[in-house]
Amino acid sequence: MKAELEAIQAAALEALKDVETADALESLRIEYFGRRGKLTDVMKGMGQLSKEERPVIGKLANEVRASLTDAFEATKNALESEHQEQKLKAEAIDITLPGRKPAYGKAHPVMQTLERIEAIFTQMGFQVVTGPEVETEHYNFDALNTPPDHPARDLHDTFYLTDGHLLRTHNSPVQIRVMESQKPPVRIIVPGKAYRVDYDVSHTPMFHQVEGLLVDRHVTFSELKGVLVSFARQLFGDQTQMRFRPHFFPFTEPSAEMDITCTVCRGEGCRSCGHTGWIEILGAGAVDPEVFRAGNYDPEEVTGFAFGMGVERIANLQFRIPDIRTFYENDLRFLKQF
Amino acid sequence: MNVTQNWLKTYIDFDFSAEELADRLTMLGIEVEAIKELSTALNGVVVGKVTTIRPHPNADKLVLCQVDIGEEDTLQIVCGAPNVREGIFAPVATIGTDLPSGISIKRAKLRGEESHGMLCSEKELDISEDAAGLMELSSDLPIGTGFTDALGLDDTVFELEITPNRPDCLSLIGVAREIRAETGNDIKLPEVNVQEDDTDIREITSVTIDAPDLCPRYAARVIRGVKIGDSPTWLKQRLESVGIGVINNIVDVTNFVLMEYGQPLHAFDYNKLGENRIVVRRATEGEQITTLDEEERKLTPEMLVIADATKPVALAGIMGGYDSEITETTCDVLLESANFQPSSVRATAKALGIHTEASYRFERGTDPEAVIPAIDRATQLIVELAGGTVCQGTIDVYPGKCELGQIQLRPERVNFILGTELEATEIKQILIRLGFGVDTVQQDNIYQITVPTFRRDITREIDLIEEIARVHGYDNIPTTLPKGDIPVPKPNILVEVRRRIKNYLLASGMMEAINYSFCHPNCFDKIRLPEDNPLRDALKLQNPLSPEMSVLRTTLLPSLLVNAQHNHNHQIDNIALFEMSTVFLNGEEPARIAGILAGEIGVGVYGNPYKSPDFFDIKGIVEGALEVCGPTDWTYAITDEPTFHPGRNAEVLLDNQRIGILGEAHPKVLENYELPYKAYLFELDLEKLADAADFSKRFEPIPIYPSVLRDLAIVVEHDMPSDLPIEIIYSTGGDLVESVRLFDVYVGDQVQEGKKSLAYTITYHSATETLTDKEVNDLHDKVVNRLNQELGAELRL
Ligand SMILES: [Zn+2]
Repeated sequence: MKAELEAIQAAALEALKDVETADALESLRIEYFGRRGKLTDVMKGMGQLSKEERPVIGKLANEVRASLTDAFEATKNALESEHQEQKLKAEAIDITLPGRKPAYGKAHPVMQTLERIEAIFTQMGFQVVTGPEVETEHYNFDALNTPPDHPARDLHDTFYLTDGHLLRTHNSPVQIRVMESQKPPVRIIVPGKAYRVDYDVSHTPMFHQVEGLLVDRHVTFSELKGVLVSFARQLFGDQTQMRFRPHFFPFTEPSAEMDITCTVCRGEGCRSCGHTGWIEILGAGAVDPEVFRAGNYDPEEVTGFAFGMGVERIANLQFRIPDIRTFYENDLRFLKQF
Repeated sequence: MNVTQNWLKTYIDFDFSAEELADRLTMLGIEVEAIKELSTALNGVVVGKVTTIRPHPNADKLVLCQVDIGEEDTLQIVCGAPNVREGIFAPVATIGTDLPSGISIKRAKLRGEESHGMLCSEKELDISEDAAGLMELSSDLPIGTGFTDALGLDDTVFELEITPNRPDCLSLIGVAREIRAETGNDIKLPEVNVQEDDTDIREITSVTIDAPDLCPRYAARVIRGVKIGDSPTWLKQRLESVGIGVINNIVDVTNFVLMEYGQPLHAFDYNKLGENRIVVRRATEGEQITTLDEEERKLTPEMLVIADATKPVALAGIMGGYDSEITETTCDVLLESANFQPSSVRATAKALGIHTEASYRFERGTDPEAVIPAIDRATQLIVELAGGTVCQGTIDVYPGKCELGQIQLRPERVNFILGTELEATEIKQILIRLGFGVDTVQQDNIYQITVPTFRRDITREIDLIEEIARVHGYDNIPTTLPKGDIPVPKPNILVEVRRRIKNYLLASGMMEAINYSFCHPNCFDKIRLPEDNPLRDALKLQNPLSPEMSVLRTTLLPSLLVNAQHNHNHQIDNIALFEMSTVFLNGEEPARIAGILAGEIGVGVYGNPYKSPDFFDIKGIVEGALEVCGPTDWTYAITDEPTFHPGRNAEVLLDNQRIGILGEAHPKVLENYELPYKAYLFELDLEKLADAADFSKRFEPIPIYPSVLRDLAIVVEHDMPSDLPIEIIYSTGGDLVESVRLFDVYVGDQVQEGKKSLAYTITYHSATETLTDKEVNDLHDKVVNRLNQELGAELRL
């Protein structure tokens, strides 16, 4: 009987190898496990065994049964997996068809640049404040140490309104407004629009500036350098070199312009940088004592620095748009590039 | 302003290369905007020596020269110059050279004999008009060296940007003083020695200043018997090298001294001055002058003129008069050297639209103490170059003699401002190099500084600190971070509202636009604003660039419609734009956000097609924008704003106050902007929205008990607003109605004409128990009954 069981087991396992369909597996299962099945028949013959033989053969029979059950189960699973696999293969799609991407918009390139600048200064503790674009001569010029016959006024071609006001030529008037309304320490940036009568490939009559002001009991020129170097490193990258050149602004003294290594030639000298290897990106300086007085601060009690930069100019170091008036046409083919 | 390296070297010694000098000047605050090599035009011309000469076999007037140019073999060059001879040193243009006169040197055969270059005259090198023969060079020049190099013609021009505070640098000597500050080397002023004759100038002319407020100083000299002619080569070269045109020896000298000292001079034809005298006065009403440029100028009484006994002969500090100018026949010259009040020159130059080298300097302020050295220098040069004799003495009327500025400087304040650790002696050294007088008071704690007259921009301690900073070098100032406390920022709700709405709109597929703040005044007509609409009250520019940019925007909508038009004109019809900006209204600058949807919006690819926007797209965008700012209790009401379709617009109300408007643009508006499709617009008042914004959030328990959903379809009158039933459902169900959602609107065969079917899903839910079927059914019946009673709504089965 033992031999019989082993033969059944071997035959069944052999037969399973050839099973290819679920139906064939079921037929085979009935052949062995069905009411008239081969294994069932053997089990039925157990009763005729001797007392001694019964436990031994019984144990063997159970083992054979269990192992065959497992084998059938495994075959079943394998067949099912294969079946599913084939079904999935039939469901294949052209994965090169376009994804159903939701439409998304893009911030204006000038705003993208302005927001990066804002973020850097905000991290350094500067607060964003704004001020009016329609200004008075007082805030735009006089309070900034630029009296009416000052030659520096030549540098600003001003839009005047018919009511005697003007469009601010820079964001610096906000310096005075902030000093008038709050006590030091002051650490602000003023992003926003400014206006000058100028219209060519590198000038638009409206442009964006970020103005900054830091005032405290003891602020030094070396701190101005520190803040602006840190800013430029973050905006233009660690490889960028900076230099400060003496310059002139009526509302700062000492005044400086900051250059960075040319973004086109990396300092080698090229047409973009006039073969100097440097590109000017901002003006800055220690707040002039007259400006403090105009803002009702005592220049012996506080010192500070201010800086201002043109956003379009900085944006264009990256974008290299030949005619910056393109910024304000709002052509969608342009806006989508950024 | 332009200067050249060689010219600068006549006033100060330095051994910087051109690049070094440019860098030093730039780092001193005199930005070098361009560097130009002057000699490149004569590249290829070398010093040569004619070693042997033999006759040309086929031409009597030509000879064959063997020319040594320092190479192994001599060159055979055919030459016809009368002065060519064995042993002569002359410039040789080698093969491949393009001469400034336009001649290109090529290997050539002249009457059958090869010629490998050209022996040159001065004219051929564009050095002078002399074409008579070869330019003879000194025989001690090294053979084969570059011609310009050998003769010291190599020069470099620097184009300088002089800031308005530094008129003292608008001269060669001024720039040399900056180099002194950098190097410590001494300035070499030109040696001036004027030989005078016996006639006292006071006997033949006079100067009267009637307007001492506008003319602090006026000096004159008279040179008689000059011969007007061309200037010598060296003078022409100097002037041309810095871009000043040559005219005649007298005018060229005045321009040369202007460049040298920064002191503008003017030369009058002495004999053309009425009564041969000078009166400095204001113009009288109706007076006129014809200036050197032959323009007739009408004068006004604020303008300062130089007059003779009867009439103006020059615009003071700006331009001379045509009638008294130096001409070929001029024999006697009255030379003017004066100081004029800057703002007066500035106003007159601006009013007349004349800008000259002289006015440029006077407007910024010239040194009154340069008046005499400059006039003496010019006088000496005139005599040297044009002959004549100088009358004895200088008339010098100096009503506005300026005091030397005195400033106290605290050395510790220098370090306090700059963040440096400069020694007092270093500070003193820098100031002395800059030409300041430094005296110590109070044991080195304070310096008493005397300011030279050429630095009238220095009036305060801080001005001195800047001087010290720039000479010490900005590069040498440490770079540190601020030590002070960071002020606590005030919260700014508007900034947050802007940020949230912008992010939302970008995520909704709208592109950000930025438009000019100006618009055409007809834009109010184009958007059909009634005559009395307050938005028409726009600020006007006095000096607009064009009518399209002549008034300030009071609404953002016209700009966006122009953007749609621009894009449509370029075949871009997927218009979804928004702009966030202030407008200019009632003397205030309220912040607005506006948007436009037009054409076909979306992505427009297979599976994600474009769609034409409709009213509910723009409404949805506005709803989302409001939601991200917190408020939820806004309402809509239709308006009669003529910009919009009368039946497809809505104002957005919060607490019965309008915070914005949205809708379909009126067909006439579309026509005005030449748009062939509908456009949907919105504009919101960001400040009012910021006032209503509420970013506070509180946890609400997530429902424990299950909800029960019931659908409800009712038939109502066609014009009934869809939100009326919703209000009734909420008010009937109270806390037990969690939400009501409209999911279908149907008009058609299945409902009676004049009616529509509205289908809602109501979610019933209790926070305290599981609702039974019966409870829900009773409540739902109550809802149905009320809808029927109050709205005449019939249940659609
Ligand atoms: Zn470059």
